[in-house]
Amino acid sequence: MGLHIIVCIKSVITKAPENGIVRSADTAALNPFDRPALEVAISMAEKQGGTVTAVSMGPPSCAFILNEAMAMGADRGILLSDPRLADSDTLATSTALAAAIKKLAPFDLVLFGTRTYDSDTGQVGPQTAVLLDAPLVTGVSGFEFIDTRLRVDRTIDGFGEEYELSLPAALTINPSAAAPRDLLLRGIEESFTGKEIEILALDDLGIDPRTVGNSGSPTRVLSLTRVTRERKCEFLTGTMDEQAEELVEFIKKSGLIG
Amino acid sequence: MNTLLTEKNRAVRRSVRAFCEREITPIAGEIDREARFPWEVVEMMGKLGYFGIQVPKTLGGAGMDTLSYVITIEEISRVCASLGLCATVHNSVVVYPLLAFGTEEQKERWVPQLARAEKIGAFCLTEPNAGSDAAGIEATAIRSGDHFVVNANKVFVTNGGVADICLLFVKTDPNAGHRGISVVVAERGTPGFVVGDVEDLCGMRANPVSSIRLYDCSIPAHNLLGQEGRGLQIGLTALDTGRIGIAAQAVGIAQAALEESGQYANQRQQFGVSIGRHQSVQSMLATMATQVEAARLMVYRAAILRDQGKPFSQAAAMAKLYASEISSTVTDMAVQIHGAYGYSKAYAVERYYRDARVTRIYEGTSEIHRMVIARGVLDEYK
Repeated sequence: MGLHIIVCIKSVITKAPENGIVRSADTAALNPFDRPALEVAISMAEKQGGTVTAVSMGPPSCAFILNEAMAMGADRGILLSDPRLADSDTLATSTALAAAIKKLAPFDLVLFGTRTYDSDTGQVGPQTAVLLDAPLVTGVSGFEFIDTRLRVDRTIDGFGEEYELSLPAALTINPSAAAPRDLLLRGIEESFTGKEIEILALDDLGIDPRTVGNSGSPTRVLSLTRVTRERKCEFLTGTMDEQAEELVEFIKKSGLIG
Repeated sequence: MNTLLTEKNRAVRRSVRAFCEREITPIAGEIDREARFPWEVVEMMGKLGYFGIQVPKTLGGAGMDTLSYVITIEEISRVCASLGLCATVHNSVVVYPLLAFGTEEQKERWVPQLARAEKIGAFCLTEPNAGSDAAGIEATAIRSGDHFVVNANKVFVTNGGVADICLLFVKTDPNAGHRGISVVVAERGTPGFVVGDVEDLCGMRANPVSSIRLYDCSIPAHNLLGQEGRGLQIGLTALDTGRIGIAAQAVGIAQAALEESGQYANQRQQFGVSIGRHQSVQSMLATMATQVEAARLMVYRAAILRDQGKPFSQAAAMAKLYASEISSTVTDMAVQIHGAYGYSKAYAVERYYRDARVTRIYEGTSEIHRMVIARGVLDEYK
């Protein structure tokens, strides 16, 4: 039996009018930061042998991102969809995802993108790993299997780090890890016409409704306003030396150099 | 966005657009200037299935519907009309007639390689003295034992410079008028098969349009496609489907011109405001957007009718006529909105303007399309 790799993916909002979000197929898309995670999972399963399950949470109108994941090469697509999941924050989302992943056990790896194109918190991967009690490395860009253990690399603050994990483990995948493959038209045809997305509701997951949705979300987004950046141009005067001096002072004050 | 589309169709659009913008947009201007056929990209397109969109999976294709096909052509043409042309001709007037009229042996022999773009197809009908009047062709294929001796001078062959498998319209019975026309499949490399110089055209310059000539070329009799004497019917059937593809191509070019113009009108300042604030520019943008949308709906409707197995000839002819004509209008307006920059090779709109022009000429001129449509109207109200 090969690896079972679960990839958690999100439909992100690509177009949002100022007065609110309407999530539909025209305004949502597969989170671009999840594509490298899918690519890593699919190529790992191709190389090592195994299967890839893509999991997402959202309304049925966003199930198409799971079809896209299957068009890329995922074997199964699972959508957690229940009206009681609406308004979930990152913790409630992680609670639901962790419940689904436990239901899909046994698994060897759970992969996430590092962040999302819309809300950009980067919290769901790490929180889900904690709820699964699985070892986690974030921002992973390289992998190597050594017997039953996995060695991974990440680059952070100019340092390269190497970790060894026992499986099952959770990883968030740095976009530099793999260039996502283009979809074959044949893959699209097969995934949209021949494969069913499995939909799981709260009752299927055995989740207490109070731990998800609005009631299970300790955080609230209070407001969202567009930040307008004011640009202004300052002219330095004096001799070349004075201008240079003044420029250095300015850069120092801005905290750009020490 | 378009309500006619399914999730699958939208996924096709997204993935084809992402590929084209990444791989083709950066070279589209350069391959036009250099009149270069970008094999490196065509190879990738072949692997992704863009050259066998409606070919059954058993023959190595993607097995998709016509609507997905037109979206693919529209998206390729939005970034590079020359490659859109290459793909539409290959898919609709070469691969499709092979599937529709070929024997099982012929399909097995040619279609899988064509579907993967390992071989490129061409449709060879036009001659120096025969274009709109297809029955006026002079090419001949005279039966001699188990082969035909073919003599032909085919001109303005799309993909001609790179084509391996050519559907060649010939007279197998020169005395039988249009009933003497047949189609034989001629393969490049056959002795006597000569590829002429690539034409120096106004637009579609990355497509190696050339002449193809056959001099006493011996073609096996089993390369005859469909029945002898039914060539004109094969051609017309292929062109019915081909028209939807050319219409999609025209929509793609017009869409690109609309997008560039919208961005430019927001950006370009004159009289202290963006030119998009001027009523005359707004009027052009409104006309362009409306025409593009109307043409797109006509193309999608023709494709949907074909997918539903309903008669679609008239809808396809109308879509091709309208889309090709508005493509000229829209790209002309795009040049106008860009002013002198639009006339410069530094901006893409001049390429769109040149590329759009020929969509009114090939795979049936606007004049022939009006004749076909009018015939349908007169028949309907007889």
